[in-house]
Amino acid sequence: MTGDVFDPGQLSRCISCGFCLPACPTYAMTGDEASSPRGRITLMRALQDGTLPPDDPTLAEQSSFCLGCRACEPVCPAGVQYGSLLEQWRVHQWRGRRRPPLARALTLVAGQRWLLRLLGLVRGAARGPAAPSPTTAGPAAAPPTTAAEPAAAESGAGEPAGQLMLGCFERALYPAVSRAARALDPALAVPSAQGCCGALHAHNGDLAGGERLARRLGEELPGTIVTTSGGCAAHLASVLGPRRVRELSTWLAGRPPGTELRVAGRRARVTLQDSCHLRNGLGVFAEPRALLRQVADYVELPSAATCCGAAGTYSLLRPNDSRRILDAKLDEIEAAGVDLVVAVNPGCLRQLRTGLRRRRSAVRAVHLAELLAEATAPAPPA
Amino acid sequence: MALSATVRAELRDIVGPANVHDAEGDLVAYARDATPLFTHRPDAVAFPADTAEVAAVLALATRHGVPVVPRGAGSNLCAATVPLRGGIVLVLTRLNAILEISADELLARVQPGVSSAVLADAVAAHGLLWAPDPGSRTVATVGGTIATCAGGLRGLKYGVTRNYVLGLEAVLPTGEVIRTGGRLWKDVAGYDLTRLLTGSEGTLAVITEATVALLPAPASANTGVAYFPSLAEAGEAVARVIRAGVVPATLEFLDRACIDAVEDFAHLGLRTDAGALLLFGDDGPPDLVATHLDRIGAACVAAGAVEVTTAREVAQAEALLAARRCALPALSRRGGVTILEDATVPRPRIAEMVDRIDAIAARHGVAIATFGHAGDGNLHPTCVLDSSDDTDAVRRAEAAFADVFAAALDLGGTITGEHGVGAAKLPFLAARLGDDQLALLRRIKTAFDPAGILNPGKLGS
Ligand SMILES: Cc1cc2nc3c(=O)[nH]c(=O)nc-3n(C[C@H](O)[C@H](O)[C@H](O)COP(=O)(O)OP(=O)(O)OC[C@H]3O[C@@H](n4cnc5c(N)ncnc54)[C@H](O)[C@@H]3O)c2cc1C
Ligand code: SF4
Ligand code: SF4
Repeated sequence: MTGDVFDPGQLSRCISCGFCLPACPTYAMTGDEASSPRGRITLMRALQDGTLPPDDPTLAEQSSFCLGCRACEPVCPAGVQYGSLLEQWRVHQWRGRRRPPLARALTLVAGQRWLLRLLGLVRGAARGPAAPSPTTAGPAAAPPTTAAEPAAAESGAGEPAGQLMLGCFERALYPAVSRAARALDPALAVPSAQGCCGALHAHNGDLAGGERLARRLGEELPGTIVTTSGGCAAHLASVLGPRRVRELSTWLAGRPPGTELRVAGRRARVTLQDSCHLRNGLGVFAEPRALLRQVADYVELPSAATCCGAAGTYSLLRPNDSRRILDAKLDEIEAAGVDLVVAVNPGCLRQLRTGLRRRRSAVRAVHLAELLAEATAPAPPA
Repeated sequence: MALSATVRAELRDIVGPANVHDAEGDLVAYARDATPLFTHRPDAVAFPADTAEVAAVLALATRHGVPVVPRGAGSNLCAATVPLRGGIVLVLTRLNAILEISADELLARVQPGVSSAVLADAVAAHGLLWAPDPGSRTVATVGGTIATCAGGLRGLKYGVTRNYVLGLEAVLPTGEVIRTGGRLWKDVAGYDLTRLLTGSEGTLAVITEATVALLPAPASANTGVAYFPSLAEAGEAVARVIRAGVVPATLEFLDRACIDAVEDFAHLGLRTDAGALLLFGDDGPPDLVATHLDRIGAACVAAGAVEVTTAREVAQAEALLAARRCALPALSRRGGVTILEDATVPRPRIAEMVDRIDAIAARHGVAIATFGHAGDGNLHPTCVLDSSDDTDAVRRAEAAFADVFAAALDLGGTITGEHGVGAAKLPFLAARLGDDQLALLRRIKTAFDPAGILNPGKLGS
C-alpha cells in the first residue's frame, strides 16, 4: 500500500468512461489502453492501492511517455485534473535516482538565479532597449510611439503596468521574444531580480520546488505578471491564482491592432500552434487567434490544439516519440500553405523552428510577440 | 488461469510479439471497463491486425481452453469486457478501416474498430446518416456498438443499432469465419444470425466486419429544452408529445441533480432551479422540424412546463446534445463512484416508474439521480457514492437497484434497455427471461462455443 502518492479525491473523480481517449496523442500513437489517460489513471490507482509495486516498469514507462499536454482535461466531463495527478505521479516516480538525469540537470540550472542572469547577459540582454526582432521577413517595424504608451499601459483590462516575466527559456534562447513584448507594451516593467517560475520543476517530479519557485517569483514581480510563455502562465496561475497572471495574448487583447503584415507583397498567411497548457489549463485559445486575424490571414491547422511534441522537457527526454508527433504536425503545417507558424510558448517555438529548419521548409516559426511587433503600430489616436 | 508457455509463444507467433502485452501494468490497465466495482486481470492482451489473426487466436484458445474476451473501446457499462476468468483480452481497435461507403446502396462496410463518431463523420461527407448514436459515440467502436446493440439519443424515431446491421463477418470461437446477411435488404435464407450476433456481447463470435445500413442525411435538425417542476411532469409531457402525433428524433430527460452536474461541466446556462428538463429534437425538412418543435413545445406546456426554449443555431443545438451525452461522467463530480442502471419500461409508464424510483431511494436511504432516453422509456437511475470503500453505502445502492429492476419488470419493462447484461446484470437475467429461455440461451451459446472460451461468465453462462 503506497497510499499517499495521490490526492484521493482527485483520483476517485475518474469513472473510466473513456471520453478522453480520442483526445490523447499517445493513445493515438499506440492504441494501447495503458498509454491513454483513462489507462494511466487506472495505473495510478494501482500504485496508490498497492496493486502494483512502486518499481513496476509499466508505471515508470507510462508516467514518462505521457506528454503532460493535458488535452484529456477539457474533454473530461467529470472534471478530472489529470495534469495535477501527473505531477503527483512524477514526484513519486522520479524520486531520487529514478529521476531522469537530464531532467535533474535542467531543473537544477533553472533553479540557479545567478546562472539565469548570466544566460540573460550572454544572450544579449532581454532587458536592453526594446526593439522588434529581426527574425521574420516582414517589413521593419516602426519604433514604438511614445504617444501610445499611456493608453497601452491601461488597456490590459484597465490594470496598471504589468511586470514582464523573463522566462528561463527565453533568456537562454530567445531574448528577442522578451524584447518584442516590450516593444508591444513599453510600459511593461522588467525587474532584473527574477528567478524561474518552477513549471519545469513541477512537471519533472519536483512539485514542491515548482511551487516554491512560483511563490518566490510572485513576490519578485508584484502585481500582474505578464508572460510570453503559455506553460509558465498555466503553472503560475495554478500556484498564485489566475488573477495574478496574464499570458501575452490576453494582456494585449483589445488594444488597437497593428498594420497588416505582408510577405512577398501580399498579406501574410499565418497559423497558430496552441500552447497545450495555455489552452487546456487556462482555456486561452481565442485571444491569440484574434490578434493574428487583425494583422494577417489566419489559417487554422486541423491539429492546432494537439501537442507538437515539445512538451517541456519531453523533446529532450524522449526524442523519438517527440519527433514522431512533430513530424505529423510539420506535414500538416507544410500542407496548409502558410508563411509563418506562430507559437505562444518558447518550447513550442524551439520544437517547430528546429523541425522546420531540419526539413529546409519555407515556412518559418515565430513567437506571437515577434510577429505582432513586426506589424507596425497604427498612428496613435489624436 | 495462467497461460502456458506454449500458448504464449503461439499467441506471439500469430499477432507478432509487439502485439501481445503481458506486463503486470498492462494487465491492470485491461482489468476493467467503464463499469464500477468489477475488475479482474487478464493473462495477456492481444491486438490482432486482421480476420485471419483473430481466427488463429480463437482456434488456439479453443484448443487450449483459454478464455478470450473481445474488446472495443471498453466503454460498456455492464462489465462485459472484464476478463472474469483471466485469459486473453482481444482488442479489436487495429481493425479500423472504413472499407466502403455506397451512397447508391445506402450502406457502408466497416471494420469493427472504427469509432461510431468517425463512421458518422465519414458518411456525413457523402450526405448520409449513421443513425446509431450512443452517448459514448466518440469513443465506442462500431463492433462494440453492434455487440451491445447500443441505443442512444435518436432511438425514438430511428430505433437502435439492430435496425442498421445488414450483415456481419464473424469468427466463431472454434476459428471458422462466417458471413451472415450482406448487402441485401431482403434475405431470409436461414435463421437471422445477423440479429442474433447483434447484442450478443462478445459471447458467440468475434465480429470482424460489418455491413451497415445508412440513411440519407436529414436536411436540418433542431433541438429545444423544456423545464418542469419535477420528472413526473416531464414524463407526462412525453406521453402528450406522442399523442400530438409527433415522433421526435430525440426526447431525453435529466432530473435536477443531473442538470446541475451537466451545467457545471458545460456552462450552457441551463436552469438549475428546475426539477427536471426535457431535451427534445427532431430532424427533416426545416419547415417540418419547426412545426414539430412547436407542437412538442405546446405539449410540454400543457404538461406543466415552466419554460420552453429552442436552439437558435446549429452550434447551440449540438452543444445541448453534447452536454446530454456527458450526463453520466458529469455526475461523478458529485462523488467518487457512480453506479448507474438501465431499467426500461413501456413509454406510458415512465411517470409511474419515476415515482417508484423515488420511493425506492427513500426506502434504502440512497440518493438516486435519474436521466435517460425518455422517448424510449429507458431510464438511467444513478447512485453517486463518495467512495467504493464505503461498503455499507454500496450494499444499500445494490439493494435499491435490485428493487428498481423488480419495479421495472412489474411495470412490464426490462432490466436493461441498452447497456447490456455482461457480468453486472447476469444475476437478474432469469427474472426477465424465465428458466426455459435462459436454458435455451445456454444451448445456443454451446452451439457456437463448445469449449466455452468466449467471454465466459457473461451472457449464455
Ligand atoms: C458516458 C457513457 C455513455 C453511454 N451512452 C450509451 C448510450 O446512450 N446508449 C448505449 O446503448 N450505450 C451507451 N453507453 C455504453 C457503451 O458505450 C456502448 O455500449 C458502446 O457501444 C460500447 O462500445 P465499445 O467499443 O466501448 O465496446 P466494449 O465496451 O469494448 O465492448 C462491449 C461488448 O461488446 C463486445 N465486443 C466489442 N467488440 C466486439 C467485436 N468486434 N466482436 C464481438 N464482440 C465485441 C465486448 O466483448 C463486450 O461484450 C455509454 C457508455 C458511457 C461510458
Ligand atoms: S479522465 Fe475523465 S474522460 Fe477520461 S475516463 Fe476518466 S472520467 Fe472519463
Ligand atoms: S496529458 Fe496528454 S499525453 Fe498525457 S494522458 Fe493526457 S492527453 Fe494523453
